[in-house]
Amino acid sequence: MPLLWPLLLSAALFGVGVYGVLARRNAVLALMGVELMLNAANLNLVAFDVWFRDVLVSGQVFTLFIIALAAAEIGLGLAIVLRLFRAYGHVDVDRVGGDPS
Amino acid sequence: MIGLTLVIVLPALAALVGLAAIDGIEIALVSVGGAAITFVATLIVAVPRFGTAGPVGGSWGHAWGTLNAPDVSFALRADSLSAALLLLAASVALLVQIYSVAYLADDPRYRAYASIVSLFSASMAAVVVADDMFVLLIGWEMMGVCSYLLIAHYWERSDARDGAAKAFLMTRTADVGLLIAIIVLGQAVGSYRISDVLDAVAAGDLSGSTITVTALLILLAAIGKSAQFPLHTWLPDAMPGPAPISALIHSATMVAAGVYLVARMEPLFLASETATIVLGLTAVITMLIAAAFALAQDDLKRVLAWSTVSQLAYMFAALSVGSVVAAIGHLLAHGAFKALLFLAAGSVAHAVGSTAFADMGGLRRPMTWTFATATIGFAALSGLVPLSGFFTKDAVVGAAYDAASGGGEGPAPSWLAWLIVVATLFTAVLTVAYATRAWRLVFSGERRGSETAHEVPALMRWPMVVLAVPTALMGLAVVRPGWLAGSEAEPVHSWVAVTSTAILAGVVAMTWLLGRAGDPATRLGPIRPVLAREFGVDAAYNRFIVAPTLAASGLVLATDRDVVDAYARGASSGAIDASRLLRLAQSRNVQTYVTVAVLGIALAAVVAGVTA
Repeated sequence: MPLLWPLLLSAALFGVGVYGVLARRNAVLALMGVELMLNAANLNLVAFDVWFRDVLVSGQVFTLFIIALAAAEIGLGLAIVLRLFRAYGHVDVDRVGGDPS
Repeated sequence: MIGLTLVIVLPALAALVGLAAIDGIEIALVSVGGAAITFVATLIVAVPRFGTAGPVGGSWGHAWGTLNAPDVSFALRADSLSAALLLLAASVALLVQIYSVAYLADDPRYRAYASIVSLFSASMAAVVVADDMFVLLIGWEMMGVCSYLLIAHYWERSDARDGAAKAFLMTRTADVGLLIAIIVLGQAVGSYRISDVLDAVAAGDLSGSTITVTALLILLAAIGKSAQFPLHTWLPDAMPGPAPISALIHSATMVAAGVYLVARMEPLFLASETATIVLGLTAVITMLIAAAFALAQDDLKRVLAWSTVSQLAYMFAALSVGSVVAAIGHLLAHGAFKALLFLAAGSVAHAVGSTAFADMGGLRRPMTWTFATATIGFAALSGLVPLSGFFTKDAVVGAAYDAASGGGEGPAPSWLAWLIVVATLFTAVLTVAYATRAWRLVFSGERRGSETAHEVPALMRWPMVVLAVPTALMGLAVVRPGWLAGSEAEPVHSWVAVTSTAILAGVVAMTWLLGRAGDPATRLGPIRPVLAREFGVDAAYNRFIVAPTLAASGLVLATDRDVVDAYARGASSGAIDASRLLRLAQSRNVQTYVTVAVLGIALAAVVAGVTA
């Protein structure tokens, strides 16, 4: 399989993720955009690892790290979203930042 | 020297203490008591100066040396001229203070009033006993300030505010002449002492042009202070002030200071023919127009104000023909009878609530005391035979006649002296006419107006009675004027006496007959409105001085607001607009920031790809 296919898929995933972060107003969906971008990066790492035939499989090791980090990040992110919801009654990122009413 | 200082310090002290007094009775005690103590001190200082006694004087402490200029010091000096003025000022101030206790009994601003009156007499004393010209200038300006404050006593009324501002501005403008004259004389003589200046004039140390210029500048200040033509319009407009203040300003202080200044500097004037001619012509014009204006007024106090202007011109006329004795004699007599007349006008105003003739008439019966004393005052003003005005007016006419026929002192040309003789006699006719008219409109005929008139309280009655005594009897002292300046006694000019008595009798009879049907002034016909408008001098001032000044100040205001301020305001509003533009980037919306960042990165990536 040529390297191009996984890279294209990864670019598409990253684009979808950026769109999600920039355009979705719901904080949970914005977080999901972040996840998509992380996973696009993971896909790149795995693809290049295979392409380089790395004996240490450092690409796959990094990917495992990033999955762990992403799990921690989404836990923290969702906790913040929960606090946001408690404080504002909504999770609309456009309308947060002022005094909670 | 201590006495001379005390006559200045005592009333000033009374002014200060009066401000600290608690209630109306204490204020009255302090101000009347202060004036009484000042009067006693003045008696002690002044009386020994009469007759042949020389002047006394001295200076306190060190002179304040300045670079390239003569020394200035607190120097005082008194001779018989100062003594006469001091006595006049102190006695009128005392009577005015007593009168004011009753006149302003219910006035909420009596405290400030009483203090300023005390300060006023302190200023006048400073002018009169000053030897250093700067001490004189300080007293002179203090008097201007005090008169401003007192004329504006009823500052709720716009005519009082305007009159006060007018009086202050006109006199203050003229005062610039005095300041320049002092500096020029100080440089020319090397001393600011009046005595040194007069010595230098006597010794002929000064050049003719210096003498002429300084004499004219001093005359300008005196014209302003004494309300002579062409600066005569402030005095009638100063009438909204309380009546006792008019009595003080019109007899013993303010306007008397102008006459005093010229009398004090008389040698300077007599050394310059130009100054003498200007002085004489000013006096002639002023006495005639002021007396004519007095004839057409509808307000008792305004008649008296124009009468003051006219009578002051008599004094300046006497000074222009070199007769200080006649001028000061008339000043003293005028001080007594004009103070009396103004206090009487105050009593009438107190009784009927107005100073307009329309509210008076028939006050002879309800106000016996006021009627009797005011009659003596009007008779003295007209120059009835045994009263003071008769002798002093005759002295003025006589002095002018002596100068005209070649027997007088001073450089006045004989055409000027003849002009003065004619003008004084004609003014005497007008004086008798307006005095008779005013007396008749106030006291005889039917009662007009709605208020029931009543006699005034004793505190207001007695000052008038006291003033009536010198008004009636001072003439006997003036017959022998030797006590005033130590000079030869001037005989009464018999032809002047006969002429003026004939004028008096004739004009009284004529005015009486003309006025049988009502106001004699209606017989003036078409001339009356012209006189009542006072020849439009004020309108001319408004048009050529007030209006351009207002226009210029409006222009300055507009320039300041629309040009100078525009830069400052433009800087601030420009900064605000710029920051508003910058604030658009700080939207507080994280997604916008990230969008910008992503677009930037994408742009950088494209640029990198294109250039690589």
